[in-house]
Amino acid sequence: MPRIMISRRLLLAGLAGLASIPARAQQMDITRATAFVDRAGQDLVNAINDQRLNQTQRRDKVGSVLRSAIDIEGTGRFILGRYVRQASPAELQDYLKLFDEIIIRNLSARFGEYRGVKFSLGRSQQRTEEDALVSTLIERPSNPSFTLDWRVAEINGQPKVVDVIAEGTSLRLTTRSEYAAVIQRNSGRVASLLDAMRGQIAQLAAREGG
Amino acid sequence: MKTFAARILGPAALVLLLLAGCATRPPADDPEALQEFKENNDPFEPANRAMFEVNEVIDKAVLQPIAEAYRDLLPEPVRSGIRNVLGNLRAPTILSGDLLQGNVTRARKTLGRFIVNSTIGIGGIVDVGRRYDVHGHSEDMGQTLSVWGVGEGFYMFVPLLGPTTARDLTGFGIDVYANVQNLFGQGQILEVWGYTRLGMTVVDTREALLEPFDMVRKTSLDPYSTLRSAYRQRRAFEIQNKESPAGAVAPAGGVGFGQGVMEPR
Repeated sequence: MPRIMISRRLLLAGLAGLASIPARAQQMDITRATAFVDRAGQDLVNAINDQRLNQTQRRDKVGSVLRSAIDIEGTGRFILGRYVRQASPAELQDYLKLFDEIIIRNLSARFGEYRGVKFSLGRSQQRTEEDALVSTLIERPSNPSFTLDWRVAEINGQPKVVDVIAEGTSLRLTTRSEYAAVIQRNSGRVASLLDAMRGQIAQLAAREGG
Repeated sequence: MKTFAARILGPAALVLLLLAGCATRPPADDPEALQEFKENNDPFEPANRAMFEVNEVIDKAVLQPIAEAYRDLLPEPVRSGIRNVLGNLRAPTILSGDLLQGNVTRARKTLGRFIVNSTIGIGGIVDVGRRYDVHGHSEDMGQTLSVWGVGEGFYMFVPLLGPTTARDLTGFGIDVYANVQNLFGQGQILEVWGYTRLGMTVVDTREALLEPFDMVRKTSLDPYSTLRSAYRQRRAFEIQNKESPAGAVAPAGGVGFGQGVMEPR
């Protein structure tokens, strides 16, 4: 009888231990986050400044670096916020696809203009238990330098960027507010946001083509 | 500025407010929508959106072309000099903000920079302080009110002034009053100088915001709410004194869209 008690206790303790492992694994190590941002940032800068690439190739290269560094699905879900539950499975799938295209197009267009850019790590600090905030300084020839903070979280065992914060303004917070406004102003329909996103992609494509 | 605002913008705001009405509060059985409504704190949203559209028209027709011409006509070093002078002229406002918030370290920096930049920096043209790694920062009465515990109040969009809140607009009014008192009613020269400075501040700020604004117009599905969110975040950042040392002494809060004006080179 006592033996059973002990083994049950052990089992319980073991279960509790197991349960705590994933929680600990979610914590983002600051050194790891910093190294990750440093590597992704250098890849990005190299792609932007690569003289051998023409504009389309450069944009594609920048896009693929961004795609591997950003947690697009998680960020997309965060931005859609409470409407994730209101969207039908098909709508959510469409949304994530459109979001992927918009974020990559917008960021590649923005970073693609930063020719001659230099990037250096600033002081980094741990923010919350789940993610780390890595601060960087972006310098461009004959342009003002500015700080860009990268919020890095551990996603499926890999560090990924979940937010970019420029001088105190978070991209995912402003975008969340923007998307929520589009849905609300169209009587709460997620489909109207998808239409607006499709329209924007068409516009971006037309601009890039011209 | 004061008279212009009082004569034209005041009545115009009132008329638009009455025409457009108020935002509809979501029903009580939708707690998330209600939460969002409270966070936006934009009870006059329809009126604010109308004002935003008015501002877009004015901006595209007048302010943006002027800012672009300013950038094209004047070489970068001249524009930097002008930005530095305008920043230096804000020193009294910043210093009083530092002191009213009880931040002696920042007050000492502001005072030191003002003395050095005004003299060695030839009336503020050269930011000597920055060269010695004493970077400038921004303060205004809106930030001071916040540090004193005043909540931000409802959101507003005022044409020519941009996004603001009840608290920040009050703070802006106090700052303008404190400045105007020294300049107006004391002869024409000072009055002309006051208007020149105001005009230059508007042009300089708009020039610094050319790219950020283009970006918002190009990439946002709803620029109004993007600006509202960005303004709030930026103000929170400024109130916590977290501006990066790369920033210049920006005209925060009031004419400045709450965006940090970056360091000129």
